[in-house]
Amino acid sequence: MAKEKKENSRRQFIKSGAVALAGLAILGGGVEYLRSVHGPNDTRTPYFLRPPGAIAESDFIFGCIKCGLCVQICPIDAIKLAGISEGLAYGTPYIDVRTQACDFSCDSLQCVETCPTAVLNFKQFEIAGGNAIMEYQKTHDVTEEGFNPFPVQIRAMKEQVKMGVAKVNEGSCLAHKGQGFKGVSRGLDFDGIYRSPENIHGKASPLKDREFDREICDLCITECPLGETAIIASADEMNAKITPKVLDACTGCGVCMMVCPTQEPSIIIEPIKEDSHV
Amino acid sequence: MFKSVKNKPTLKPKPIEDMPHTKLGMDYNVWCKTQHGNHKWRNIRWTALILVNLLFFASFFLDLSLLEGSLSGSRAMGFYLIDTYNALQVILISIAGGYFTSLTMNFWIGFFTIVILSTLGGRTYCSWICPYHLLAEGAEKLHNYFVKKKMIKEHTFNIYLRFVFWVGFLLLALFTTNIVFENINPIGILSRSITYGPGLILLWVLALLLFEIVYSKRFWCRYVCPVGATWAMTGKVAPITVKFDLDKCGYCRDCQDVCLVPHVLWFVQRGKATQEVHFTGSDCTRCGLCIDTCGGKALSFTIKGVDKLL
Repeated sequence: MAKEKKENSRRQFIKSGAVALAGLAILGGGVEYLRSVHGPNDTRTPYFLRPPGAIAESDFIFGCIKCGLCVQICPIDAIKLAGISEGLAYGTPYIDVRTQACDFSCDSLQCVETCPTAVLNFKQFEIAGGNAIMEYQKTHDVTEEGFNPFPVQIRAMKEQVKMGVAKVNEGSCLAHKGQGFKGVSRGLDFDGIYRSPENIHGKASPLKDREFDREICDLCITECPLGETAIIASADEMNAKITPKVLDACTGCGVCMMVCPTQEPSIIIEPIKEDSHV
Repeated sequence: MFKSVKNKPTLKPKPIEDMPHTKLGMDYNVWCKTQHGNHKWRNIRWTALILVNLLFFASFFLDLSLLEGSLSGSRAMGFYLIDTYNALQVILISIAGGYFTSLTMNFWIGFFTIVILSTLGGRTYCSWICPYHLLAEGAEKLHNYFVKKKMIKEHTFNIYLRFVFWVGFLLLALFTTNIVFENINPIGILSRSITYGPGLILLWVLALLLFEIVYSKRFWCRYVCPVGATWAMTGKVAPITVKFDLDKCGYCRDCQDVCLVPHVLWFVQRGKATQEVHFTGSDCTRCGLCIDTCGGKALSFTIKGVDKLL
């Protein structure tokens, strides 16, 4: 009797175990299918702009444990978690720069530092910052008055960020049309905040509090947290048109896209598809 | 360890004059029900569970910075905590993805903290913190009601099915280099919904609960959840556990009826106990339901080793 019972339970275990394995196999197949649809080989779906230091999208999306610590630590609430409509990217962090750009006003890349896994990889920033301090120490002495290597460290860390690259849409760009801009850029209902380069040591302040008056619109150039290494006004000799020109140092932080006053942004951030970090 | 205790020769069942109700001079059926309606530990546990999950919410919503993140990975006052099963998957896929060496010190701190905690209290996490457990308790009540009304049949599976899933999800993580499990993990889904706001993914949790109500009681917790299985594995040596005194037991088995994992109480059946004192196995979630319901107070929380000193 007891033996029969044991045999029965063994048979049931094998049966349910087989069902479980089949379920797991289906799940794995589903993941692979979704990956082939939404994965890095598919150019139809727009990429997410990931927080600074994100490893390659194909690794990132699958290595993130979706804990949300980066969301919590961001002082300007730039990072959000993706919803279920994003398929496999569900629960992963992204930055919608048109709504709220990453302006580096935290000055320490806290989101990367807080990430418990290495999908936001801090190592590169640690190295870049460390190198900058070493360089600084070569030309400055500790006993010197005003010895402070931190600004160069922070600067080096920021420059190391490569979330995406800004791209100008000349069709709608005010500068390209030769138009100026006067007023509040995104209207008084816009909630985005950032730290203007004019106020480099201050806190981030609302964009709606700032009134601009420019003969030729150059908001994306003047408000860029990286400055002239990332974006400059380039004059076209032929027709004397001025257009913003994005340079190599662009980090994809998206402040330009957030401050752009046109209805549809005339400068957009294209996320880096390939891994630039590891 | 568990096996060897179970395989020892059993003690003789107590004669009627040694039964606790006879000593008290009570009718057996009345004696059995003396503690019904006592919900001391359940109330304490529910309060703790709700408070912990509220703390996650409040830390984000009010910017308290006390308990940040969610149950898959969090920071308690700056101290990292990472779910062990999640961490195992991260380790596997970081090796596959070639960024293992980039895993931070905070990752290892979080990983080992949880491992150490689980060797103290085993699956305590399940019933004292996991938000899915609370919902599943409600689903279980409904399920029991329907079974009692003979509207549905009870379906059980082998409890070792969990380990098939445990290995399976790890292999799946390795082969797809994707933490697949976190996509369907109701703990993470609920925890994120509490902290960062709900999403459509909650439909999956609802589907799981419906399945548990109409088909198999506590299906996810008992037969699938690799998170619980991990806590049970590392909790094999846990000193914080539930103690059973054969002397006070009346063989009524009410405790097994309320237990989420009744096999841990195998010794309460008449003639099964092999020792005067037994401790529940590693699968026990320390929920305290058995302690609340026991008419003879034969079950109690204890810390092995320390209880002898007191």
